[in-house]
Amino acid sequence: MRIELKSDPQVLCGVRGAISPIAGAIGFKEEDCRAITLALDEAITNVIRHAYGGKPGRRIEIELSKLNGAKQEQAGLEILLFDRGVKPKPDSFKGLPPGELRSGGLGLHFMRQSMDKVVHTRVGSTNRLRMVKFIR
Amino acid sequence: MQISARRLENKTIFDVVGDIDLANSPAVRKALLAEIKEKKIPCVIMNLEGVKYIDSSGIASLVEGLKASRDAHARFILFGLSKSAREVLQLSRLLNLFEIYDNEEQALSNERA
Repeated sequence: MRIELKSDPQVLCGVRGAISPIAGAIGFKEEDCRAITLALDEAITNVIRHAYGGKPGRRIEIELSKLNGAKQEQAGLEILLFDRGVKPKPDSFKGLPPGELRSGGLGLHFMRQSMDKVVHTRVGSTNRLRMVKFIR
Repeated sequence: MQISARRLENKTIFDVVGDIDLANSPAVRKALLAEIKEKKIPCVIMNLEGVKYIDSSGIASLVEGLKASRDAHARFILFGLSKSAREVLQLSRLLNLFEIYDNEEQALSNERA
């Protein structure tokens, strides 16, 4: 499934409403559906805020694929996000240690805690984020 | 999301209804900071019973409120966290930094203590 969005925070509510039943239909438990919803919300939020610097109307593409467990990987869900925003700074992937009283840097931590794999790559002028969650 | 304020004696209770995400967390932050820093209300209470979802930007707004209240020697209290909101706060490892109660009655009785 492929979804195209604009970089507008108002899209987040609709995405959350869509992803949870998709994850449920694939076979994820309720708590894992919530984790996937949070990870995708945070990933789109990061694109809007950081890749596009809060500018509205820029394209965000999402690809959702069910992993059948036929190859090397277990069954689960793969989420790919593409944007053509700025290249992230290397230190933005360090992820700040949570638990301190600060208001930034939680999004990446939430994505990593919620998903089994979170990998960012830059191909030409495109940012590609791959997130995978396996069914337990 | 809707946020409204109730004023009781020396405290303000914010009733929040709806999801708190990037689309509306700035409004939450603005309301909190106005109450704590500008109006210097000594106790600000957030009613989150109507909040089914909160993301990192929403947590960030609550953290800003907590920081401002500490700077102002004020109290900042949360109550009525949904399962999802509690999970996200737990994930942030910030849960124990907030003063949290199950409901308004508990929040008010502890506020008076």
